[in-house]
Amino acid sequence: MNLLNYIIRRVLLFIPTLIGLTFIVFILSHVSGNNIILAEYINPKLTGAARQMAIQKLILEFHLNQPVYIQYFYWLNQILHGNLGYTTTPIFSGPVVNAIELFLPNTIMISIVATIIIWYLGVWLGVFSAVNRDSLADHTIRIGSFTLYAMPIYLIGVLLIIVLGVYFKILPFSGVVNPILVSNLPWYVNGISYPTHIILIDAILHGSWNVALNAFLHLLMPSITLALGIVAGIIRILRSSMLEVQDQDYVRLARSKGLSEHSVNYFHAKKNAMLPVITLFGLTVAGLLSGAVVVETIFNYPGIGYWTTQALLSSDIGGIMAATLLFGLLLVAANLIVDIVYAFIDPRIRY
Amino acid sequence: MKINMKNQRRIENLKLSLDVFLSNKAAVAGLIIVMLYVIDAIIVQVAPSILGIMHPDELIPNFISPAPLPPSWAHPLGTTYPGIDLLKSILKAIRIDLFYSAFVVIIGAAIGSVIGVISATIGGLMDEIVMRITDIFFSVPYLILALAVGFVMGRNLTNMSLALVIVWWPIYARYTRSQTLSTKESTFVEAAKASGVGRLKIIFKHILPNALPPVFIQVSLDLGSVMVIFSTLAFIGFIVTASVPELGYLTSLGLNYVQSAPWAVIFPGLIITIFALAVNLLGDGLRDVIDPRRRS
Repeated sequence: MNLLNYIIRRVLLFIPTLIGLTFIVFILSHVSGNNIILAEYINPKLTGAARQMAIQKLILEFHLNQPVYIQYFYWLNQILHGNLGYTTTPIFSGPVVNAIELFLPNTIMISIVATIIIWYLGVWLGVFSAVNRDSLADHTIRIGSFTLYAMPIYLIGVLLIIVLGVYFKILPFSGVVNPILVSNLPWYVNGISYPTHIILIDAILHGSWNVALNAFLHLLMPSITLALGIVAGIIRILRSSMLEVQDQDYVRLARSKGLSEHSVNYFHAKKNAMLPVITLFGLTVAGLLSGAVVVETIFNYPGIGYWTTQALLSSDIGGIMAATLLFGLLLVAANLIVDIVYAFIDPRIRY
Repeated sequence: MKINMKNQRRIENLKLSLDVFLSNKAAVAGLIIVMLYVIDAIIVQVAPSILGIMHPDELIPNFISPAPLPPSWAHPLGTTYPGIDLLKSILKAIRIDLFYSAFVVIIGAAIGSVIGVISATIGGLMDEIVMRITDIFFSVPYLILALAVGFVMGRNLTNMSLALVIVWWPIYARYTRSQTLSTKESTFVEAAKASGVGRLKIIFKHILPNALPPVFIQVSLDLGSVMVIFSTLAFIGFIVTASVPELGYLTSLGLNYVQSAPWAVIFPGLIITIFALAVNLLGDGLRDVIDPRRRS
């Protein structure tokens, strides 16, 4: 019962945040009059009289001749009906909704791979570092994570390109797949793969294993970069919380009843030491989303982030605003999920 | 006599702080590195000719040999596209990056901590509203929000830093608020209240002097991360004018030559990393000084 109450309370708190988020995006696109919203919503292919008519229609649809606070609700109504305007960038031009449909799966894909890397690497190194406290390995891990923590994510990406891509030549570092491999495939047209738009999954669905392998290799560099940009924080938090737990009664009890060091550390101590890491997961999602913008740009990886920087470079307001809204929604949803998961894991939080 | 005692105690305290700080070798190294960056910025500002710099505000391209050249005597760190000398550009860029990052952190902290303190001392509905507003700012990843805000204001360095201020103040508002609240609950404030000290006097004499120092440390720690974000924005293409000496922009210039000229991307990136590292080390040392529990 208590858990249910808590979840309902959290979901209700989610609503004002959503309203605030949409309001920020609305204010941003209205701050210099109606021009921005017209630029966002008018179909760039229209010219002359048709364009004038479209403008008139938009003014009516968005009630642009009424006060701003009334306009907000009409704008929100359009957003809720999936009308996000148009985007014109070198990599995609057309309705924003189609751009999201095309690019979001790719971003989700590298985020998932990066999360897996972060989770395994972060937990393993963090616990290992705390268990072997003050050893050479511990110092190396600490210095390494301290340095990674200070590095801009683009430098991590560039260093990986130089080492793995240029010097050792083991991993490809541009695009999603080798274009020669996919030049004659029926399910890959104009750089878009069908039906999921994630080329790795599509290749597996169509049974083209060599394309799938190549797509997987292309996926690795951006995901590793993204993971390395975030994992340092996880290692540091987990190490210090592991050390903190060592003094707790239940860990001492486990030790004094003769359990092996390994099972004390990895089964008893680790469980509670993970709690702060899980709270950090919301921050991790924020890092993944911000990082995706930079990483996708460096690796020419066609995701939401790449589209956002292309929109920035071609002064495409529709793309920027829609991306802001989308990134915000993803982050808010992630935070909500983290809160609920946390309530399941840690019963203390519900009261 | 009493004043003398007080002064003496203060001096002793200061000495202890200094000892604690100096015993942390990493923090001292951090301080020295940060000072080097500051000195570079001051020299480029006041007398750039000492470093052989003629135009501190712009990059000097050389279209006769635009391709990046490896490090040599003439160009100690090599050149980047289009024929820009990296060492001189980095020296110029440090001044610009440092100035704008400091601007973001200081203005952001000033706005944020005033709002945080007010919200914590007044409390009630006001507090609730302020916290919900900061929630909204946290609901968009800061890089994206800064990008959108800066885009609407117009893409240049000043707007880029203003956008970062707008994104950054809620962090300080939150932090200052929580510091103020926890100080408000502490025993010595209770004691002051019980002995009938006025409300304003409690706020200014007892709460603020204890709540603000951790905020200052946070500010100094953030200087590194802000510089990283600032350069990241420039790297992904926020800067329109082609001749701004900025570290992220310098890195992006070499990006197309990463296979043949790795130095063009490594050096500007490293300069930022070293600064952020030094600031973090320095911040850790300062935290030891201020936190009495870590002063053993």
